[in-house]
Amino acid sequence: MEHGASTLAQGLISQALIATWTLVAVAFFALVILVYVAIRNRTRRVDLEGTVQAFRSLDIEAFRNLVDSAEEAFLRDNLPPKKFREIKRQRAWAAFLYAWEAGRAATALAKVGQAAQRSLDPEIAASGVQVAENAFRLRLQTVRVSLRLLTEVLLPGLSSRSLPSLADQYERAAETLFHLGGFPSGVHGLARSKSA
Amino acid sequence: MLPVNWHKALLLFLWITPHVLLGVLAAILWKRRLYREFPFFLAFVLYEIAEFMLLFALYYILGVNLEQNGYAYAFSVTQMISIALCFGVIDEVSKDLFRESQFLKVAARRSLMCVTGLLLVMGVLLAVYAPGDNSAKWYAGVFVVNRGAAMVQSGLLLSLLLFSRFLGLSWRRPAFGIALGLGVLTSVDLATYALRAEFTSTVGGEFLNLLITGAYLVCVSIWIGYLRAPELEPAASLAIVPHDEVETWNTELQHLLRD
Repeated sequence: MEHGASTLAQGLISQALIATWTLVAVAFFALVILVYVAIRNRTRRVDLEGTVQAFRSLDIEAFRNLVDSAEEAFLRDNLPPKKFREIKRQRAWAAFLYAWEAGRAATALAKVGQAAQRSLDPEIAASGVQVAENAFRLRLQTVRVSLRLLTEVLLPGLSSRSLPSLADQYERAAETLFHLGGFPSGVHGLARSKSA
Repeated sequence: MLPVNWHKALLLFLWITPHVLLGVLAAILWKRRLYREFPFFLAFVLYEIAEFMLLFALYYILGVNLEQNGYAYAFSVTQMISIALCFGVIDEVSKDLFRESQFLKVAARRSLMCVTGLLLVMGVLLAVYAPGDNSAKWYAGVFVVNRGAAMVQSGLLLSLLLFSRFLGLSWRRPAFGIALGLGVLTSVDLATYALRAEFTSTVGGEFLNLLITGAYLVCVSIWIGYLRAPELEPAASLAIVPHDEVETWNTELQHLLRD
């Protein structure tokens, strides 16, 4: 009985020690992340060219095709089940990569939008608000879509609903970005607001 | 004898200096009118100075003996108020981060509330399963509470920083500085309070005191550095983009939309 109690006490002590050192490790890890974020934040720039490149690299139609439910139904009807699952897994993975890249582009787009938002020109500022809002929505949408596509990669036998809203979000974001870029005087406006 | 004096001198230096600097910080907040955007932070800074004055006076009148005098009680009570104010500062910083987006004001703050709930549950579970030193010393319990609070605060600040990075949210310099400094402080607090809750030896406690006060000095220096610095202009790279590149951008996006 006494032996049992001492074993239990030792178990609790070691459990508490593990918890303590785990917390110390977590705190150290948090500090490392903070230092990393602080260093990265010092060199932040709105990479307009990179944003354009990211957008150029995305083919929205190809993405639509990959997540099209009618296309999927056609493949399901015309392919043997094993082949269908294999093809579906490949299509889902390709769509996942598109969604991932769209999310990254959205992050850059949000930065461009927020930069424009601080312009003294009210028209550019308003466009910036729209760009940033669409980009935030797109970013969060890509997370949901990516998770769903990963599920499809792992379980290709499950039937999926169509994913039109991500494409719509992307198009909306691209459209507002286009409108923002359509103000040739806007760039000058931003330059003025900075030098002021 | 000499090492003991050096230890005491270092401890006093690390204890007094950050609070003198907090006075400087309060002046900066006032001069740059940042108190209008961060009133909780100003309250926190002023409170920390007042708390220091009280504890320093008690230290000289009563001496630091955790078990036998009122210093420990005063420390514990003031610490609880400081924790509450710190949560207010975190809330203020998060509001500032999401200020420009109507969408994020709702979506992100809801996510943040979920993170807070999760961290609170973790803190409570930790207090139940790792209640600290089993001796009857009451202040070990205070360290457990501090440990839980530091975990929630550190987790929240880290979530804010990672969330902003993930979404591409731009921080304003003062808000980022406040979050960063507080993040450093709460992370060190988490480690030291976790150790203090478990090991209540005097020698270990003295070393951890040095660590906490040192971290506090770093934290106040970060605050002063960021709050004094002028706001970065994030639109700078937009200005250097030549017209032909903007035209290329237009053409490429039109092409993308018509694909």
